[in-house]
Amino acid sequence: MLYKKKWPLFLFLVPGLLFLLVFLYIPFVENIKNSFYEMASVVKMPGQEFEFIGIDNYKRLFTDPDIRVAMANTLKMMVLTVIFEVGIAFVLAVMVSQIKKLQQLFRTVYFFPVVISATAIGLLFKLFYNYNGGMLNQILEALGKEPVLWLGPELAFAMICVPTLWSYIGFYFVILLTGLSDIPDDIYEAASIDGCSKFKQVFYITLPSLKPVFFTSVTLAVTGALKVFDLPWVLAPNGAPQGLTHFLGTYMYQTAYGLNNYDYASTQALLIVVLGVVVSKGVGMLTADKDEKVAAKAKRARAKGVA
Amino acid sequence: MKKKVLSVLLVGAMTASMFAGCGNDGDKAAGADGANGGDAAPVTEESGDAADAEAAGNPVTLKTVSMFGGTDPNAEVYAAINDEFMAENSHVTIEDNSQTSDEEWKAAVNADFSVGNEPDVIQFFTDATADTIIATDKLVSVEEIRAEYPDYAKDTLDSALAAAANTDGVQRAVPTTGYWEGLFCNKDLFDQYDLELPTDWASLEKAITTFKENDIIPIACSLNNVPHYWIEFLMLYAAGPEEYTTVPETAPEGWIKGLEMFKTLRDMGAFPADTDTVDDAYVGQLFRDKKAAMQLDGSWYAGNIEDTENTVVIPFPGVPDQKAEAGSLVGGISSGFYITRKAWEDPDKRDAAVKFVMAHTSQEGVQRYWETTGAVSQAAVAVTPVDGATPFAQSIAEYTSNASVIVAPTDSRIGDAYKTLVAQIVKVSTGATTAEDAINEALGVMQ
Repeated sequence: MLYKKKWPLFLFLVPGLLFLLVFLYIPFVENIKNSFYEMASVVKMPGQEFEFIGIDNYKRLFTDPDIRVAMANTLKMMVLTVIFEVGIAFVLAVMVSQIKKLQQLFRTVYFFPVVISATAIGLLFKLFYNYNGGMLNQILEALGKEPVLWLGPELAFAMICVPTLWSYIGFYFVILLTGLSDIPDDIYEAASIDGCSKFKQVFYITLPSLKPVFFTSVTLAVTGALKVFDLPWVLAPNGAPQGLTHFLGTYMYQTAYGLNNYDYASTQALLIVVLGVVVSKGVGMLTADKDEKVAAKAKRARAKGVA
Repeated sequence: MKKKVLSVLLVGAMTASMFAGCGNDGDKAAGADGANGGDAAPVTEESGDAADAEAAGNPVTLKTVSMFGGTDPNAEVYAAINDEFMAENSHVTIEDNSQTSDEEWKAAVNADFSVGNEPDVIQFFTDATADTIIATDKLVSVEEIRAEYPDYAKDTLDSALAAAANTDGVQRAVPTTGYWEGLFCNKDLFDQYDLELPTDWASLEKAITTFKENDIIPIACSLNNVPHYWIEFLMLYAAGPEEYTTVPETAPEGWIKGLEMFKTLRDMGAFPADTDTVDDAYVGQLFRDKKAAMQLDGSWYAGNIEDTENTVVIPFPGVPDQKAEAGSLVGGISSGFYITRKAWEDPDKRDAAVKFVMAHTSQEGVQRYWETTGAVSQAAVAVTPVDGATPFAQSIAEYTSNASVIVAPTDSRIGDAYKTLVAQIVKVSTGATTAEDAINEALGVMQ
């Protein structure tokens, strides 16, 4: 045993716990309480009392068309993050892992967008998408074509997804590349001697060996999609155009600080937390099942081999 | 053994440093108390600065907050007056936290007042926006201050002080300048396409059609960000001043008719194609770059106009079957300097706070604010006219002096509910929501 006495450990753990208690758990409980009251201001002024309104805000969640849009967009974003962020990151990681020269350069280049702030990326893409003199429309005009309303109702969601997804590919790329480097080279060498093509090696060696890392990435991507806020807010504030690009985060922010409806925003915040817990739990269960199945299969295979 | 000795030494060093830290804090605390006029003994350090401060009075740190920050055209004058004030009153240090007003800032001010973190002096709204902080009873009335300082706000016009009274009728704020809202026009574009400046709905319609045909954006407006001025003028002209200034329980006919004009204007192609996504700063740039012909905005926007030879401000042209008289204007006085009770009840801060407010609201101070914004706002004191006014400034003088009716905007009467109305304007303009539903939803919030 490294430490015989345990109490000093608690001494070091308690400040962190207190910090979380004061700045996370107590506000969270307060947030739940607020969702049952009609809040006239963000904080209770001296002598002011908030009116108890029961579950009115929760009822409103089911009838509010804007929250439906926000929820649908968030769920779409979850699917897109798995397909495009983790998917593209995987393809890039596999390709980069196959080369020896310039690997470090590609690692840096693909990871670079992650270190740029979402606000800066948002402003950058805003300049690309501008209808009057934006980069994309300048190119179109140079080609003799009509300018396009890139953030119009038809295209806005896709145009917001592009930088949101692109900016995080590098993050999963690095995670997956680290996972790939842990796969022993002799497995690939043995497969090559047996005549397995590079393409098949990806499916029969890389993917199965990378499953735990892959599932971790999926969990991070799906829960990360719930927190999407800054980039869409910079690119298309207030769910522009016409509230069609709201995500749960942006709609909650607008409700709280745009409309000063703090109690309904508290209800939305609770919805985001509940959704986050459910989704991460769901993905976690899926991951655990798969791992157990793989482990059981391997055990059976080994038992047969011994026999 | 060596380890034990080392441990004892380290523990000793840590303990000593902790005590040293505490000792320093104690000194600072004593100094701070002294600064706040507490019972602690005054600071006795013999530095030259400290001796000067002693001569002038106990050192005072005045916490101030204003809307004259960031890109506000008044920011420069505000900062200059603060610097001069500190130079003249060497015992006073100003800790200023000014920024341009937005919803987050207003929420932060409310929060500060509720938790006892209010500043000593605040330049803030006087209309319904201030109701939340007024309710805390932490702002001192002008009457109470004048009982101790009879010269307080002596230069401020009585009418301006009255206009800056809070919604409960009590005068607490001392204003600097007022505001107006009007239609900014690029006159050179009108000349280029042989158009008269619009004076009624028919001429406005003609201008919109002509500019649209010539790939000029007729009206620079971001419906998703700041449709406020259009809301005000469309409702004022469609409803008439009487109905416009009521606080109704359900949507009045005139308000509905006014907001329905958003769809008419949008269908005519009056707004930029990307009006649903761009912000106010961007459309302002379109106007200044002569890519847009008209922009409805306020006196605070006047400072941004560079082409003062070819830009003019004119009265709102009107709407079909309007009920308001031509030349009706949205404007008034909506902000001023308040002294908080926290500063008033502190014997040292009281005097500094009063002097600070007077530095900004005296004839000399207001004249500087007025001139820096192009001598185009409504001054709260009797100002000296500026020689050689530009055509732009002349048009504003003509517009404001010929106003038939001056009314305050709707948000001064319905407070936060106004935000709900603003949030619905894009949908009203596309027809996704009716004007009646949008107004009723907003009025519902108020109730």
